[in-house]
This record gives sequence, structure tokens and C-alpha cells, in this order.
Amino acid sequence: MTAQEQTIQARVHIQRYNPDVDRKPYLQTFDVPVPQGMTILDALAYIKAEIDGSVTFRRSCRHAICGSCAVNVNGKNMLACNTPLRTVLTKKNEVTIRPLSFQPIIKDLVVDRSAFWEQYLKVKPWLIPPENSGPKEYRVTPEEVKALNRAETCIMCGACYASCQVVAMNRQYIGPHALLKAFLRVLDPRDSAPAERLELVSGTDGVFRCHTIFNCIDACPKNLNPTEAIETLRKLTQRRLAFEKEREERQKTL
Amino acid sequence: MADLNVITHDILIVGAGLAGTWAAMSAGENGVKDIGVLSKVHPLRSHSSAAQGGIAAALNNVRPVEGTGPRGPLEQIPPGDDPIDSPDLHMFDTIKGSDWLGDQGAIEIMVNEAPEIVYQYERMGCVFSRTPDGRIAQRRFGGHSVPRANYAADYTGHVLLHTIHEQAVRNGVKFYAEWYCLDLLVEDNVCRGVVALDITTGELYLIRAKAVFFGTGGYGRAWKITSNATANTGDGVAIAYNAGVPLMDMEFVQFHPTGVYGKGILMSEACRGEGGYLRNVNGDRFMENYAPDKMELAPRDLVSRSEQTEIEQGRGVGADGEGIYLDMTHLGAEKIMERLPQVRELALNFAGVDIIDAPAPIQPTAHYSMGGIPVNANGQVISDAEGTPVVGFYAAGECACISVHGANRLGTNSLLGASVFGRRSGKAMAAFVLSGAALQPVDEGAVKKNRQCISTLMDDSSINGKKESPAAIAEELKTAMTRYAGVFRDEERLTLACEKVQELTDRFKNARIMDKSRRFNTDLLGAIETEHLLTFSKVIVNSGLARTESRGAHYRTDYPKRDDEDWLKHTMAHKDSNGEPELSYKDVDIDWDRYPPQERKY
Repeated sequence: MTAQEQTIQARVHIQRYNPDVDRKPYLQTFDVPVPQGMTILDALAYIKAEIDGSVTFRRSCRHAICGSCAVNVNGKNMLACNTPLRTVLTKKNEVTIRPLSFQPIIKDLVVDRSAFWEQYLKVKPWLIPPENSGPKEYRVTPEEVKALNRAETCIMCGACYASCQVVAMNRQYIGPHALLKAFLRVLDPRDSAPAERLELVSGTDGVFRCHTIFNCIDACPKNLNPTEAIETLRKLTQRRLAFEKEREERQKTL
Repeated sequence: MADLNVITHDILIVGAGLAGTWAAMSAGENGVKDIGVLSKVHPLRSHSSAAQGGIAAALNNVRPVEGTGPRGPLEQIPPGDDPIDSPDLHMFDTIKGSDWLGDQGAIEIMVNEAPEIVYQYERMGCVFSRTPDGRIAQRRFGGHSVPRANYAADYTGHVLLHTIHEQAVRNGVKFYAEWYCLDLLVEDNVCRGVVALDITTGELYLIRAKAVFFGTGGYGRAWKITSNATANTGDGVAIAYNAGVPLMDMEFVQFHPTGVYGKGILMSEACRGEGGYLRNVNGDRFMENYAPDKMELAPRDLVSRSEQTEIEQGRGVGADGEGIYLDMTHLGAEKIMERLPQVRELALNFAGVDIIDAPAPIQPTAHYSMGGIPVNANGQVISDAEGTPVVGFYAAGECACISVHGANRLGTNSLLGASVFGRRSGKAMAAFVLSGAALQPVDEGAVKKNRQCISTLMDDSSINGKKESPAAIAEELKTAMTRYAGVFRDEERLTLACEKVQELTDRFKNARIMDKSRRFNTDLLGAIETEHLLTFSKVIVNSGLARTESRGAHYRTDYPKRDDEDWLKHTMAHKDSNGEPELSYKDVDIDWDRYPPQERKY
């Protein structure tokens, strides 16, 4: 057995907090054997099953598509399910796991995401299609799909939102997750309301609030680029009526 | 009762994946205003999002380039050229895939509604991949004789789920996120509502409704190696069974051929649809020995058995020889990045392999539950072989058994089935409610009973003997199900499985949880879920032991042939007064003139 394959011991510090009984959050330490391939989520599951069943966290799919398990690990937001534990251990084989920032804690690593979803709803995440649609699909070119820059693959995990320094200062800010969704709809040739959307995101809590700090890009587990999407929206807000005219033209051949 | 929280809705939907969300949308469009959707996770976390490869429909957007063979390139069909696909062909492929256990009337409905529902997804905003002229892109999939998997890269389920959820929110559907359904209230074959837990607060609620719909997903968490989310614990299936509703064809569980080795996480069938190879330790494409015509694109049951045979004969890969190689190195970086970006990430993260440069180790993984709550093609739950309805109770998606998938589901038919029959259920429930259905009287003692069960799980003083851990019981069950009720089964193994399930069920009486708090108690949920695993696993192994033939995903090495004379029928299991499954059988709906049973060869 090589050193690589050996099981090592990790000290996992987890922030605990049950508002019904605890005055404030505190760190609790668990010793965890780390076989090769163990993810952060595997470690949390091990602790819950073997040491303390009251350790509370969200999870479901185990492979970075459901968006449940974003947490803060050593100060950085990531998904617990697709991050090998060994990659986040310090030299002393320690790691600290906390809940995502800027949101009220329900219990341990579970936060109340109400504000996050409210911002998502604020941008009207649904497509507003043209009124007269034919019986088949709209025609959208592969280039137009490519221009969406994979924004449709956002899993709404909230890693970006909870790393955004603007959200930290101002909870009214729409946030990178919802602005990325707004970008997806504005850029989609099938959407009929780009001017309305651009007006909405150009308000005081919209795209001009972004300080281009790029934390959202660093945090995104799907390698998406909310900052660039916000940049694109900013440019389009300058010419939103012209953009809507172009959209109307485009929709004649949809 | 002073401490009783009661909520009422015209329609209460449990589960917010594709089936549940379509049911809510469709019931709303058909005139019902008061609809509640309850989900144990936030709706966007539902497991529909994990589907990768596509949704089936005969759209006739692409065809194979002439003369390039079964794995050659595809091209868009020029306007005016003859179609290559039809609902009829889709129907035949599905029947053959089901090993003739699928109900043909329901299959016909599904394939006929397929093109329209895919177009509807597109017009609601789903970002599909496209052909050069802008139509929805299609790829090949196992068991389908033409390319008809309509796809969004390898994120198809994800974009479908987000799209339908967005539209449901737009239509004002009320969601109860992170609420858990504990119990279904059925009396005199009439459904009256559910008991539910608000996970965040720990409060119990009685929810009364004129119609209740279950879209609660599959039961693949009963196996150790599984592609299923941790949420897929067959809750709805177990709850319905406990309420007196039968379960149908539970022995049929699909093992997907390409789960990440040692983890089970899904690597889409699109890997093979796009041209990937399966190789054994010698580098041989062994499928030529099992399905020389379809090769890697044979249906999943056959491919998984072929892999398992290679493994058992010593030609597997990996530390314990339990793996097989999925080789996509010949596809090229460009195609992989465009069409399989998620799979590449998964292989990097969970197998430590870049599929552009090296083959990924995979193995069969428990994937899809063909069995479930028996329903007709309008989602109406039935209580016996004659089709007697359970009034006011509906189901669709993986928890239901219509049965369109029979003994083995074809890839891309699950997103389709969940959507089509979710929508049809919504329409049927709306008609039921608008025809004057009333709220039915309920036994308020049901809440008390559920509260008592929760108290017992927290009360260490009530243990008679050794204290048991629910998590440890679940692990033992999964190990046993993998070993004894997996890809290959026989009387000896299934008997051992029965004994193990019984032993664990007995031990569960002493299972107690560590977390004694009310707030967001996932320890409690884990224990209840474990009990559900035990409940339906008993039905699986008993149904499988009784079925002395091999059909689709149920393969008995001691009865290796399909036996139409004795076994061309659905298994129905009722819970008897001793808590044991009582088996009876139901005829398969077959159009004997058009699609009589044939030998199934690929």
C-alpha cells in the first residue's frame, strides 16, 4: 500500500448552532478516518452516522447537480459532495466547515435561504415567450445557445451569493445567482421581454451595484461566470430599447 | 383537538420533480385554484435534475448519415425528406425494451404525447442543444432503433426541471419546501389526505385534500452501489403500501451499466450514445459476445448483465476487479466538451480520470425502479387486478407503475413518462375535483399515531434489548440487497435476502436516534427513511423470489428463460394483516394483433 492509499486521520471542525438551545454558534471537533476518495459530504455523513446524529446539513444528489450541499470550508464556499476531503485539509490535517454566510442559521450548516429565493423570483426567472407560438419548437441556432454561456446549468447552490461582498453590505442587492438567471433570459432569442428585464436589473439594487470583485466566479462549482454575465447586462442596459427592437426582428424568424 | 394543525387544499401534491410539478401545472390549467405542492427538499433539488442524456420523442430532426453504419455520424433531416421515426416505432422499441411486461395501451399514449410535450418544454424556455438549422438536437440511446433522445448537452433533466418549476412559480403554485409526508390517510378505499412534518419547525400537520397525488420518486437507495440521490428512499411507495394500497412489479429494478466505480454515481448513457466503448481488463469490446448487433447500445438490463458476467469471470478492472472500462478517448476533446461536459466533470471528481485521455472505471449501479404504486393511464391509483380505483389518490413518475416500462425501462423514457403522466394526472384530478368531489372525514387520531412513532424513535428508555442505529441497519440492508437482489439473482440468494430483511425489520424496533430536538431533525428523517427501505425491500425480495423466470431487469440464474406461459403478468403485493406481502397477479395489457410477445434479441 502506498502512502497515497493509506487512510489518514483528519480533525474536522464543524460549526454547530441550534437557536432553540444555543446562545451562539460554536465549533465542535470530530476525528474522522479519511480513506482515499472520501468527499467532504462523505465525512459529514460519517460523523452523523457514527459519532453525532444531530450534526445537521443538507444534501441529496451526491454529484453536484441538485445544489443542496454548498457550505463554507476554510473560508471558501464549495459543494461538499464533489470536493475530496484531502484537498481541503491543512498541513495538520484539519478542516473547518461552516454554513454559508449572510443568511440566518436554521441549524448547524443549514441556512434559511428565503432572501436568496426572493431575489431569484424578483428577476422573473421564467421565459416570457412570444404570444403566437407555432406547434413545434422555436428555431434557435447552436451559436445562440453557445452565447448563453452555460447559464442554464446553474444549480442555484448559493455558493456565489454567500461569497459576494455586495450581498454582505446590502441584502437588497439582486445577487449574482439571480442576475445570471436574468442574463439567461435576456440573451435567449425566445424571450419577449428583454427591455423590461433590463430595466429591472438596471435599478439601484441591480447590475451597477456589482463591484467586480470576482468572488462569485471563484466560488461557482459549475465554473460559470456571473461577473461576465453582469457585465453583459450592464452594456445592454445602455441600449435596451434598441436591443428589444432587434429581438422583435429576430423573433419574426423564430 | 387543540393542538391539531390542519391545512386543506383541493389538490395536495407530494413531490416536486417533473411528475409532481406537471401535475400541479396541469391541474391549475384545468381550472383548480387551490393546489399545494409538498416536497422533502426544495423543489429544484428533486432528483429529476440528475437525468442527463435526454427525453425521448419521435421528432424526426436527425438521421444517421447514409452508409456510415449504426455508430456513424448524424445529420439533420432536410425539410421535405422522409421521416425515419414515428410514435409506432417508439412504441415497439419501448415494448421490446420492457420485455413485453409494459402495458401497451399506456405506452401508446406516452409515445403519442411525446412530441407535443417536448415541444412544450422548448416553448416554455428549456435550453436544448440544437441542430445546425435550429431544431432540437437528438442522439442515439440504448434500445431505441433510431436517434430520438432529445437533449440539452448532458444536463437534460436539470434544464427540464428548472424550466417547469419556473413556469409553475409563474402560475402561482404554492410550494411547501422541506416538508415531509409521513402518512397517507385511506379508509374504505377513499383517500382523505396526509400527515406531514414541517421539517424546519418539527410541527406535524394534518393536510386534508379532495385529491392527493404522489410523485415521490424511486426506491434505488436500498442498494449500496446506486445512482440515486439520498432522498430516493421510496417514501411514497412505502407509505402507500402501509395505507393498504398494493405495490406492483417491485422486483423490477434497473441496474444502469455505467455508474462510477465504487460510488455508483451516474455516467450518462449518452456516453455510449455518442460512441463510447465498454472494455474489459484485456481491452476487448466484450459486448460483441452478448449483443453483436447493438453492441454498447443494447438496453441497460442486457449491458449490465454482460458487464457483471465479465466481472464474475475475472475480466473486470479496478482494485477488487468489480469494474469495467468506459472508453471515450476516441471521441475527441471537442465532442466531449460540447456534449458531455458534466460527465467529464464527474469522472474528474469521482474517478480521478479525464475521459478525454483515459477510460473511466464504471460498474452497474442501481438506477431506476420500474415497479411502484399501480395506476392507470390517468394516474388514478388502483387497488386490485380489476382496476378498482382508490378514490382521490393519484400517482406518476418513478413511484408509480403504469406500467410503461415493464421489466426494463429504456433510457430517456423516464423524463418522458414522468412528464406525460404527471400532466395527465393533473388533468384527471381537476376533472375529479370540479365534478364535485368533497373533503372526506378524517381520523384525527392519525396525527397522534405519527407523533407517537416519532416519540418512540427518540425514547431510549423504551428499548427492549440492544439499542440499534438506523444508519447501521440501512447499511446492512444495502449490502444484502446488493449481494442477494442485484443484477443476478437465484432462489438461494433471494431467500437469504428475505431472511436478512426480516432480521433487520425486527432489529429496527430497537432503533433510536441521537438527535432529540424538534428543529430540522434530519436524524429523525433518516430513521423514518430506513424504515421505508425495509418496508418495500421485503416486497421486492418476496416478489422476486416468487417470479421463477428471467424477464428484463429481473434475472434468475436458476430460471434463465422468460416464461410467458406462467409469468406474462404483473405482480401485485398487498400488505396482509401480519404485515407480510400477499402476492396476486394482474394481466398485462397486450395488443395481440400488433405487438404479440417475441423473442427479445439485440
